[in-house]
This record gives sequence, structure tokens and C-alpha cells, in this order.
Amino acid sequence: MILLQSPSRYLLQILYNRVQNLEKGVELDCQWVEFDDIRYHIQGSVKNPNVLLLSVSLPIPPPETVLFGGLPLGALEAIKAAYGVVAQILDPPRDGFNLTLKLNLSKLPPDEEQKHALLTKIASVREVVMGAPLRAVLKQLVTRTVPSDLGKPVALVHRPNESFFLVPQADKVTVIFPMRFNDSIDTVLATSFLQEFVEARRTAGLNNAPPCLWSPSPPQELTEAFTESLSANAGFVSFVIFSRHVEGRKLDRTVWNLSTFHAYVNYHVKCSECFMHTRMRRQVESLIQAGHRNGLYQYHSGPFRSGSIRDGMGYIEPVHGTERYHDLVPVPVHPGSFRFRSGPVRYWSGPELVSLRVHTFITLLQALDRAKPDPEKAKKNSPNRSFKRMSLKDGNNSLGSRSWK
Amino acid sequence: MLSSYWFDKFLGKSIAIVSEIQKKHARGSNANPLRLYLTCIRNTLEAAMCLQNFPCQEVERHNKPEVELKTSPELLLNPVTICRNEAEKCLIETSINSLRISLKVKQSDELENILTKKFLRFLSMRAEAFQVLRRKPVQGYDISFLITNYHCEDMQKQKLIDFIVQFMEDIDKEISELKLSVNTRGRLVATEFLKQFI
Repeated sequence: MILLQSPSRYLLQILYNRVQNLEKGVELDCQWVEFDDIRYHIQGSVKNPNVLLLSVSLPIPPPETVLFGGLPLGALEAIKAAYGVVAQILDPPRDGFNLTLKLNLSKLPPDEEQKHALLTKIASVREVVMGAPLRAVLKQLVTRTVPSDLGKPVALVHRPNESFFLVPQADKVTVIFPMRFNDSIDTVLATSFLQEFVEARRTAGLNNAPPCLWSPSPPQELTEAFTESLSANAGFVSFVIFSRHVEGRKLDRTVWNLSTFHAYVNYHVKCSECFMHTRMRRQVESLIQAGHRNGLYQYHSGPFRSGSIRDGMGYIEPVHGTERYHDLVPVPVHPGSFRFRSGPVRYWSGPELVSLRVHTFITLLQALDRAKPDPEKAKKNSPNRSFKRMSLKDGNNSLGSRSWK
Repeated sequence: MLSSYWFDKFLGKSIAIVSEIQKKHARGSNANPLRLYLTCIRNTLEAAMCLQNFPCQEVERHNKPEVELKTSPELLLNPVTICRNEAEKCLIETSINSLRISLKVKQSDELENILTKKFLRFLSMRAEAFQVLRRKPVQGYDISFLITNYHCEDMQKQKLIDFIVQFMEDIDKEISELKLSVNTRGRLVATEFLKQFI
């Protein structure tokens, strides 16, 4: 999935389930968040299965945007036009939300295709509510009405405490996005992505796409109108929208794409980071494998690893050992020339050979250890004579027998 | 010739710029600068990797890499820095029983910087699998290796050097490939987005 779809998939699924199992009418109460900015809540009861309450919480608006009753300009009209009798706007909305719609499923059109279209439309409530002011401005391009405030930028909220800007002109609208990211890595990746937008626009196939510009500093149109809220760590992107981009059915698509531009870039930045990690992990594995393949660690795979006897046993070093490293040249080892030091065992002539010798030596030590009588056992077996009264006969016997043997 | 040059340099305090050698060898060789840089490192390593077992002089029953502890100056040799340019260099520090190689990898822009940092962090986290890799790089460098005399005894010297040089090549290659793939992805994402308006 490269492009983001406008209907919220989760909401669409809930609606479908409800419509198909209307007579069951289970209790329903869930919340979820989309694109890290919009919060949804849906509630349905057993008593009245035809009614669903859908609430939407919009991102907190920055000071420069203008809202009407907590909703963007023209949102109420857009909802009425889109949903008709199916949805009723409740006033006041549910606590903590900006908009609550009472959906009456019994009023859905009977025709399957129309029903599907309307449910999809309800699921894309984000596009209807958030895109309303943008749609209003872009529509002026189609109808060729000259806006009253020509060239004066308009701020529209699209993320919590963040807005993007529209500069309406007679034959075009410039849309400017200040791009902000929380994570420093995200910022760098996003910057390189945004520069690719400019590059991609230059290719032959995209001559008719809206001209796209990226700059690290805010464009001139904005500097006069909005002095604050013009800090962006990933620069500013602007698209110039002409009337050919909003003709007919393209309007919906354009509105959706522009209002979720930040989410789109963010989504792909995260995907690309994920891909990067997978690739790096694989590459590290293959570097390790390369070491094994080249036979770098070949003397490490045997049963006698230098680490296994490193602790406690001491290591063996020739007293008059050669001082230089010998590349696989066997150095004669004389049994008499060992002395003990603490530390790991050293290999002096062809690792396998010497490790074998060392191993034999250690086995010998262990065998000696085992051969020593256990002090506990020794105590038990030894007859304790000193405190035992013995008859003379016994004494004589024992002494005699001992002395004879 | 290169080898003997480096051996001389190695004995004295030296900081060499590869470009100087490059000029010297420009007539005869058709090798690219990266190849020269790597050859230079390889020859230096060959000269430097004559390590021997040496117990600690201060504490009895201890045997530690002297290049890390630097307990006595007489056990340390002069460090060598090999630079390809300001951004890419290699520091080789040697002592009687251990050798430390620190690399600084080229980071021409912020994206490369992040990719390098991430990739090398992945490598350092798996340091035990490489045995000669140091968990933390030396200050001012991106990645470090620590080779002790035990490594030299366990592994073949020539293969160890090959491995390190190969490792450097692989890091460079991988980072440029990663960068390319990020850019390609960005291009694809941008194209798909802009196609929506046509």
C-alpha cells in the first residue's frame, strides 16, 4: 500500500458488521486514533440497534487557525450534504470530542451499491470534516470566482498545534506545508524524501502534476502574515494547485491527498526506517558468516576452546618461548619447559596439537585430584584408637596383627 | 616499496596522507584511491601485527591488552594515522601484546551520518560474534577493533588482515547502497503522490 485510503478501514469494518447483523445488535463501545491526530469513538446499544453514535475529536488547533464551534469552516454544511438523513449532528457533542453524529442505519438506502457508497462515505468522515475548508478554497478555482481576500494566506489545522497554509490567487492556490518531525532520524529521512518530491516533479511523466518546491526557510508569502508558528525542522514544501488539478472528480482526491500529506510522508519515513533495520540486520549476519566462510575462526570451532580452561587452571608458557608470533609454524615444545602462570592456555605449535597436549595435561591433573583420598571418607574409615578402651588381649591382638603385617 | 616506506614511517611518529603516496605511485599504477587507501592500511597492519604474549608488569597474574591500559610507555609504539581525506581516516595504535584499529567512515551528508551511525551500532551490538570488534569506538572514530596476541594465535594473521580490509570495504559499500535505496524509495513515494493529481 503506497497511498493512504480515505475511508478509515476499522470504522468501515464496524459499520459493515453492524449493518449485516442488525438483528443481533450487540453492545458496542470503542475508541481509536488515526494518523496520530484524530480520535474516533463509536457507541451502539442493544436496545436500539439501528442507532450508532460516532464521535470525532479533531487535533488541537494552533492560535492562527479559525474554527467555528470547534469545527473547521464549512464542516457542518459538508456533513449535511454528504450524509443527508442518515446522520444527525448532536449538539452539544460528546464530552472530549468536537463532533458527534447520530447514525440511523434504518435510513440507509436499500440498494446495495448506494448503501456501500454511503457507508464508505461515513467511514471517510475525516475527509469530509477536515477537508471542508480546503475544498471550499479549491472550489473557487473551478468556478473561477475571484476570492475576496486575494493573496492573503489562510491557516488550516491538520495536526495537533500545527497548521498548513493556503495562499489563494486568481488562477492558482499555493499550499504550503511546514514539515515538523519529533525524531531527529525521521527529520533527516523526511528531508531527503521531500527533496525527492521536487526531483520527481521534474521527470517527463509528471509535467502536469502541481509544481512542487522545497526550501529550508519559510516562503515569502508567509513571513509577513504568520511570524510565529513558522519553525519547521524538515523545511517547507509548497504545491501550486491549478484548476486542472481540481476538475470534476479529481477534487476529492486532491483534497484528501493534500490534507493527509504529512501523514503520508510520515508513514513512508517509518516504513523506510523499518526496511533499513531489516537490511542492516541481514547485512551484519552476512558479515559474520563471511568471517566463518573465510576460515577466520577455524581454530575456534574445535572441542578445545581457549576460553574453556581460561579460568582457574592457569596457563602454560614455555620459559624460553620464542618471542614472535609464528604463522602456523610448529614450534617444538619440550615437556620440561613448562611453568605455571595464571591466565589462559597458549597454543605453541599448530593449535590442535597443543590444545590436545594441554587437554591431556589437565586430564592428568584432574585424575590426580580424584586419586587423593576424600578427607571425609578417610575420617570414617580410620579406626579411632585413642579414646577406646581395649583389653590387653585386644591390644595385643591388634598390635600383633599389625606388626606382623 | 610501499611496505618498506610504511615500515620506516611506522617506527617514527608519523601522520601520512595517502595522496602523497598516490602522487609517488601515480605513474605506474592504475589503482583507484580507495584501493590505495586500503593497500596502505593492509601493509601497515602487516607490519604492526607482530604481537607477543606479555603479562602485566604492575599486577602479578594479570595479562591485559597494553594498548587499552597504557600502563607503561615502553610497551607502546607510536600510533599511525592513515588519512584518505579529513572525513575518512584510520588510526592504528600498537603495543607489545595488542593492536587497536579505529576507523572513521566517510559521512558526506546528514543522511549518510545517520545510516553510518545506525549500521555501526548494529555491528557493535554483535561484537562478540566478530571477536576482534570493540564494543565502543575510540573517541573521534566510528568503529574500533582490538586485536590481542591471542587472536593472532587463534586465527591466521593473513586472514585477519583480509577480514578487516574486507570489512572496511563492505561498510562503505553497504552505506552507499542503503543511501541509494532510501533515495529510490523517496522517489517512488513522491512519484505516486504526484500521479494522483494528473
